[in-house]
Amino acid sequence: MRTLLIDDERLARNELRRLLAEHSEIEIVGEAADAEVARVAIARLRPELVFLDVQMPGEDGFALLESLEPPLPHVIFATAFDEFAVKAFEVNALDYLLKPVDPARLAAALGKLGGGVGPAGGGAAPDAVRTGRLEACDKVFVRQGDRCWFVEVRSIRLLESEGNYTRVHFDAAQPLLFRSLNAMEERLDVKMFFRANRRQVINLEWIDTIEPWFSGGLLVQIKGGPKVELSRRQAQEFRERLSL
Amino acid sequence: MPDQASPSSELPLPRHTRLYVACQAAGWGLWTLVYIGLVFLQGEVRVNGEVISREPLAKDIAFIVVINSLGLLLTHGYRAFLRRRGWVRLPWLALLPRILGAVVVLAVAWTALVWPIQHFLADKAKLTVEVQPATVVIYSVFQGSVFMFVWSALYFGYHIFERYRRSEVERWQLQSTVKESELRALKSQINPHFIFNSLNSLRALIDENPARARAAVTQLANLLRYSLKSGQLETVPLEDELRVVDDYLALEQVRHEDRLRVRLTVSPEAAAAAVPPMLLQTLVENAVKYGIAPRREGGEIALDAACVGGELHLQVRNPGPLARRSGSTGMGLRNAAQRLRLLYGGRARLELREEPLGVVVAEIRLPMTTAPLNIPATESSP
Repeated sequence: MRTLLIDDERLARNELRRLLAEHSEIEIVGEAADAEVARVAIARLRPELVFLDVQMPGEDGFALLESLEPPLPHVIFATAFDEFAVKAFEVNALDYLLKPVDPARLAAALGKLGGGVGPAGGGAAPDAVRTGRLEACDKVFVRQGDRCWFVEVRSIRLLESEGNYTRVHFDAAQPLLFRSLNAMEERLDVKMFFRANRRQVINLEWIDTIEPWFSGGLLVQIKGGPKVELSRRQAQEFRERLSL
Repeated sequence: MPDQASPSSELPLPRHTRLYVACQAAGWGLWTLVYIGLVFLQGEVRVNGEVISREPLAKDIAFIVVINSLGLLLTHGYRAFLRRRGWVRLPWLALLPRILGAVVVLAVAWTALVWPIQHFLADKAKLTVEVQPATVVIYSVFQGSVFMFVWSALYFGYHIFERYRRSEVERWQLQSTVKESELRALKSQINPHFIFNSLNSLRALIDENPARARAAVTQLANLLRYSLKSGQLETVPLEDELRVVDDYLALEQVRHEDRLRVRLTVSPEAAAAAVPPMLLQTLVENAVKYGIAPRREGGEIALDAACVGGELHLQVRNPGPLARRSGSTGMGLRNAAQRLRLLYGGRARLELREEPLGVVVAEIRLPMTTAPLNIPATESSP
């Protein structure tokens, strides 16, 4: 698994390298000492896994993730002691390691990846993934306040435009993503997502009921979410899409 | 009872309502019984100890029950009115005239309701003295006013007491939290983030440079020991504090490597001066946290200690604009300033300012004293 180490301390990176030497499936393709270098390295090296320090000079680890174009590589955080960060992880069950890293804990974190979901597997052809659209199991990183989430694309019910940002509805949360709805739409799978109107993009898999609405439009009820209106033109396209 | 203006500061409605119903029932019920008892006694006493006919008693009881029921209804309406208008939250001076007015209005209403019934039930034959109706009305209004006033006094008395008690509890809670956080915050400790990062670097260092790793273990031990002991001491000689600052900076250099450069300038007389423990350390920690850690290129921490006109001047310089600190809570420095106030009153000063050329200076000025004690905690280990 192509792996990138991101930490501002050389010794911390060395320590991780030494710990990872026992895991033959891990191939360390590079190191980065800050977010800026890391961003370039991720774009160039296309790692499947990233070890990420939260506190770094300049942008922190969260800011780096927010700035990355999805799909994201697998991310394992490494932090020394940061109440806020640890809280954010615990709430959302992101994977994190506390420094100094316990080798058993590291093995467990890697184990979870190995037996787990597919983007890393799909990433066998990283170029295709990069240029193409997001798969159902790809993840998007969202942060709001001191909480953060890796959201699986398939669990997104609805995306709503709010100026230059996009409100993402999933599970019980609706945080804002620092990306415009148009930019998001370009990355979404057209088989799964549908532009209902100027402000909203819906996930077709989350539709509960569809009823006729005024002047040939449609009213779509999203499971566990709001009702979304489709104009006649959109409704026409929607019908065509569904009949396919 | 739906009550739109129910003040949020009141207790939850169900308990409140239950208490109100209980009080109304008990109060009026008890008074009715006492009243009946009085009439009964009066009936017996009336003719020199001789028990006479109790025939009008049934009528009297009916009358008493009726007036008290009317009183109950009136006060119930009164309460609804009070709650809607939020009188409970009014201050004393605004409340008192309103209560007096309401009491008179209620008494008049009560009399107006009672009068026809009283007239209807009255046993003309029993009346020995002809009483002027006006006198009866005035008497009745006066009696009603006394009743309503007592009712109001109980009602508002309860609420005012409740409010006082609740604010007292809140004040007490607030005080204890403030004191607690004050104590906890003022006790300067070594940042746990630093400790764990150091341990992490140390582990990497064990293979890479065992001699340096051994030194780092000693430095970390010194720092922790000093930090634990410092709580018990008011002041320490500056040289002790400096030894720990040295250890601290050496550990930070392990982490930040060539990103952190250090320059120390300490005059001999300054070294003997007494300083509060962990105070200089706090400034240096801040300087690394805000001046070195966020800068990719790192920088220099410069520490100067000198005696100037009977004062000890400590200066810690780090690169970077002061504005960068806006992201911080300013906790460390605020606590340090608070400690200085507690220890020296107005005779000590802590200042944070930006010098030209992007250098931030934290400066402490203390009255010069020599330390009473040397703490063994900082003796270097063999």
